[in-house]
Amino acid sequence: MHERVRLFGIVGLLVVFLVSSFAMSGFAANQKPIVVGGTLPLTGVFAETAKWIQKGYEQWAEDVNASGGLLGRPVKLLIYDDTSNTGKAVTLLEKLITVDKVDLLLGGYPGTAAAAQMAVAEQYGKVYVSMGGHMPSFEQGYKYSFSATPLMGQWWAEGLGEWLESLPPEERPKSAAIISMNNIIGKSCRESIVGWLNKLNIPILVDETYDLPLASADALVSECKQSGAEAMFANGFFADGVLTVRAMKSLDYSPKLLFQSIGNLVPAWVEQLGDDGNYVFSGTAIHHNLPYPGIARLNEICKEKYGRPYAPDYFLFGYSWAQTLQQGVEGAGSLNNAAIADYLRSHSIHIISGTYTFDERGLPKPYSYLTQVLNGQVELIWPKEVATADPVYPFPAWTDR
Amino acid sequence: MGGTYSAIAVGFSLTWGVTNVINIAHPAFALLGAYIAYWVLHFWGIDPLLSLLIIVPISFFLGIVSHRCLFKPLSTRTRNLTASSMVLTSGLVIVVENIILISCKADPRVITTAYTGKSLFIAGVALPITSLISFVLALITCAVLYVFLHNTYEGKAVRAVWQQKEGAMLCGINTSHVTDITYGISFASAGVGGVCMGMMYSIEPAIHSTWLIYIFLIVIAGGLGSIRGTVFSGLLIGLIIGLAGFVLPYVWVNLILFGLLLIVLLIKPEGLFQQ
Repeated sequence: MHERVRLFGIVGLLVVFLVSSFAMSGFAANQKPIVVGGTLPLTGVFAETAKWIQKGYEQWAEDVNASGGLLGRPVKLLIYDDTSNTGKAVTLLEKLITVDKVDLLLGGYPGTAAAAQMAVAEQYGKVYVSMGGHMPSFEQGYKYSFSATPLMGQWWAEGLGEWLESLPPEERPKSAAIISMNNIIGKSCRESIVGWLNKLNIPILVDETYDLPLASADALVSECKQSGAEAMFANGFFADGVLTVRAMKSLDYSPKLLFQSIGNLVPAWVEQLGDDGNYVFSGTAIHHNLPYPGIARLNEICKEKYGRPYAPDYFLFGYSWAQTLQQGVEGAGSLNNAAIADYLRSHSIHIISGTYTFDERGLPKPYSYLTQVLNGQVELIWPKEVATADPVYPFPAWTDR
Repeated sequence: MGGTYSAIAVGFSLTWGVTNVINIAHPAFALLGAYIAYWVLHFWGIDPLLSLLIIVPISFFLGIVSHRCLFKPLSTRTRNLTASSMVLTSGLVIVVENIILISCKADPRVITTAYTGKSLFIAGVALPITSLISFVLALITCAVLYVFLHNTYEGKAVRAVWQQKEGAMLCGINTSHVTDITYGISFASAGVGGVCMGMMYSIEPAIHSTWLIYIFLIVIAGGLGSIRGTVFSGLLIGLIIGLAGFVLPYVWVNLILFGLLLIVLLIKPEGLFQQ
């Protein structure tokens, strides 16, 4: 009898020991950080923008960790510098997946890198939330790619088009000139503009494409001026945007409207160009003045941390992409990427820039806000519900400034 | 635009021609000059043209230091200086770019003076003042270099070393001193060229790689080491870019430019203006 009791006692102790060891090991595993990896062009031509995306990602990780982590585990970021080289962005993403074995992926930048990385993410079955590589990359039947907040060139002029449509026909520009950089971003933005110009019956007098780097914008701007176009659309980055604006000023070309697609979204546009950067229209899908609480908080954080008057757009983009991923993970309740993708495709998500529902392509509904640089600030012009300023239209002549 | 590129290209051509060193870092040092001009304007409001009084000596000094610390030791340790120099200067590019990146951040910068964006209108043709100033400055740089190389003892010594190094040594020319001068001049002209570029374009730490494309184009088309060739080739390329856009779709400009370079290389591989 005593022997049996002793045996039960030993077995009982063993069971207690094994169960507690198992529980302890499980607890330790829970504390292992979730590694979220990606690449960004932290050096090279896109570095200025990418550094803000990186800061947005870092802020997201800080916020997640401060509120108890993701699925109860801390988040750790692993971001490689792809040196603004698309080939390197692809190689490094593969390294993150196969060598570093990261749990989740972060979206890359710009659209050219994102387009190439989306194919890699798809191949390895990893959810990839980013600006996207513009429309063609979302028409490949990918299951794991999503874009929220979207940065879709094909939607870039939505806000402008709607605003022009709201004007009486006699106030709209009578003709337009378009110059676009010869890459996927320039072509995508051009597509959006051409669509709206055709819809509004505004004839396109000049439609030129140029290779980067642009050596001089004088010839292109001269052609636009000679055509007498009343609206000028420049689909370029910062460097060629500066060349275009300077050429317009030098050649005294003041159309009724100047729309610059990408270049004027970076803080350097207003900081470096001064008054010459004013009155330029553009589009965006996120803005520091949007009346959403999450954005107001991030504006305060950017003021304190970086001495910026508000959160730059790309900071907000980075933050919101990571938030989308976070909601997918929390919704799926696991790090299983297929489950995360399924959750995102079947549920609405609520992030700093609004509420989004994805279609089969991983895209939300098309939209963009119209912005204009006024007194060195990027103001929201359209839709009216979110507008922070009235537009200055027509574009004031260079000689009157 | 072409004339401005010539200001940088002429120094690049000189070191390539005289010392067989292809200095890939040459435009990065030009960029350093542009950044100095930017900061001098930003902090003290000094016009970029006046800041040349600081930039030219600094660049000259950097040229001599680079020669003594990098290129001279390399030339004694390698059999193929041209190839080795490309490897060395590619590394130097990374160093210079990162120095700029750390000290000035990745933000693009724009040099804006009182005359930026203003033009002279002659017979209805607008001539942007910054482009005019850059062009004149580039021409002066090339002219000074030409006069130096053809009309001074040191300049003639540089040419002698270039044409026949052993012969020059037999004549008592101190080749090390002459090469020092060559690098000093080359870097100084890069500094001037950088200021010209900064007045016309926005600058950021990686922009030098864009400049390098046109520098190669100008030097190869103009003829290695030829100052006249560099100037004319720069002007020609500027004209092609300016005029081709008027008669053809602009997207063809680079195709035409590099197509013409191919033809030049097939017909006159030594360059259009090389004698």
